[in-house]
Amino acid sequence: MNKKFDRFAGVAFLLIGILFLIESQKISDSAYGSSVGPKIFPMWLGIVLMALSIRLIYETFKYKTEESKKEKLQYKKFFIIFGSAVLYAFFLEKIGYAVSTFLFLLIAFQTMERGKVVYSVIISAAFSFGVYYLFSEVLGGSLPGFPLF
Amino acid sequence: MDTLQFLADGFKVAFQWHNILFAFVGVLIGTAVGVLPGIGPMSGVALLIPVTATITSGMPTGDAAASSLILLAGVYYGAMYGGSTTSILLNTPGESSSVVTTLDGYQMAQQGRAGSALSIAAIGSFFAGIVALIGLVLLAEPLSNVAIKFGPAEYFSLMLLGLAAVSGLAGKSMTKALMMTVFGLMLGTIGIDAVSGIARFTYDQPVLYSGLEFLTIAVGLFALGEVIKTILERDEETGSIAKINRVLPTKQDLKDSTVPIVRGSLLGFFIGVLPGAGATLASFFSYTTEKKFSKNPESFGKGNIAGVAGPESANNAASGGAMIPLLTLGIPGSGTTAILMGALIMYNIQPGPLLFDEHPEVAWGLIASMFIGNLMLLVLNMPLVRVFAKIIQTPKKYLLPMIIAISFFGVYAVQYTTFDLFLLLGCGILGYLLSKNDYPVAPLVLALVLGPMIENNMRRALTISNGDFSIFFTKPLSLVFIVAAVAWLLVPLLLKLRGRKVIINEEG
Repeated sequence: MNKKFDRFAGVAFLLIGILFLIESQKISDSAYGSSVGPKIFPMWLGIVLMALSIRLIYETFKYKTEESKKEKLQYKKFFIIFGSAVLYAFFLEKIGYAVSTFLFLLIAFQTMERGKVVYSVIISAAFSFGVYYLFSEVLGGSLPGFPLF
Repeated sequence: MDTLQFLADGFKVAFQWHNILFAFVGVLIGTAVGVLPGIGPMSGVALLIPVTATITSGMPTGDAAASSLILLAGVYYGAMYGGSTTSILLNTPGESSSVVTTLDGYQMAQQGRAGSALSIAAIGSFFAGIVALIGLVLLAEPLSNVAIKFGPAEYFSLMLLGLAAVSGLAGKSMTKALMMTVFGLMLGTIGIDAVSGIARFTYDQPVLYSGLEFLTIAVGLFALGEVIKTILERDEETGSIAKINRVLPTKQDLKDSTVPIVRGSLLGFFIGVLPGAGATLASFFSYTTEKKFSKNPESFGKGNIAGVAGPESANNAASGGAMIPLLTLGIPGSGTTAILMGALIMYNIQPGPLLFDEHPEVAWGLIASMFIGNLMLLVLNMPLVRVFAKIIQTPKKYLLPMIIAISFFGVYAVQYTTFDLFLLLGCGILGYLLSKNDYPVAPLVLALVLGPMIENNMRRALTISNGDFSIFFTKPLSLVFIVAAVAWLLVPLLLKLRGRKVIINEEG
């Protein structure tokens, strides 16, 4: 149990609940005469989530903090891979599927473990071009193709 | 007699050559998913949905759905087979439903009886698969005949029961599980309201009009969340793999495990049918039952074959049993079946009582294919167990980036928007943070799938009753469901108050 995270999550979900409650009031009433319009369900969800969040925050005061042993997280690796994944998503439509996937895999493989560049190049090339060929040529799907220079 | 006719038709569907291929690919990938620690059945199925969707894109909807479901379900029960392999050989369960198998399975492996343990697990799983199949055949028709009489009020309460069951059993804190459920329901309301056509929470963003894609969220929360976890927390490399001497069990082993297999299969099947209680719970129950019935309970944990046979049969039977509420009532009882249901909905096929009338080829084709798939698994797992054991050694450095690439491909191939890719990444981080802090993500996905249906049924029921909420309590069946839902949430709470330890279901 991580008290800090639970409190933070409790507050975050409380805010989401309040936001939902307020925003649901802005939904226009349905056109036909039913008394249960499109806003009822989201409104109640907001209220229930608020109640649950308050209960969670209350719970965090009750239990004792367990001294959790600090594990070393590999932030550097994670941020490089996640960052390149974001760039991958951003460039996918711009430079095409095969090229962007190849670059992403190459960077990610090398980040996971340095060295053996040849293997990394072969595997990323096989994966990216293989998937592209199979999907768009054989199966007739559509993926962003190669960049036009 | 009708049922047999339908079953024969189902076999006709399942025996089409491409469906045999689909079942084969499904169980093969499923076994691999079960063997690989880090990818559970849930992310395995979620990752493959887009792939199957594209492969089947040329077929008519009904056939396409049948074929995809055959493959995806194959992954689900194939993972139950594969999970036992690592438990026995490495002492690391490939997925949570095989945790108890490590207790006796690894001990057996250390005594040089790894082959016996593996083959008994495979035989037990096969038998359990057949039991679940027979149960499905017997129960499907009558249950769907009952369910067809349900009105919106009954459906609303039944889905509420499904959500309550999953939230009540998931994770350590019920508050957190319920929060996740409500949050999932909220995400489900984004988009254009199906009843009135009014846009909700879209803020004039065109990508939001059709709502958040369930697939993106499921893949992000499960698959990507697990990948992020493995990248961040380098877990210790596993020990050496036990040697496999002979793959066939001895006569004595077979004799000792017959009764546990039968007991485990029946127990697992009925636990699987219950919503919320999945394969993990089934295997735990089976283990404790076997220990109770055993003549020398002290031999458990020291390599008693009953401790492998029972739980392994139970988890496979449970995965078959879990298909019953999904197919007949349209209510998924676990995370994985919720994802299967999402796949069906993607094909515009609504699981539920009408499924057996409108798309018999989907329902019966799936049931028949489970028989074929189980047979394949038995054949695959006996001689090829050594090959599968090798999969464990796939280096993580190649595996993890590839899972990211596959999920990108899957999401993009279905949605064609960059927005979904960013949503996927966001869900990955969210999934990691949530499950790390004991916020179960399975109820969230289940709620996201069920959300729109719950709301529509609620509003339909309330329209019938002119806005009077008492309709949910005055209809007898609906009342029963609501009482059961409340009980499901309250009973564990009461047990906890009295200091009893409650078994929870963690399906990953």
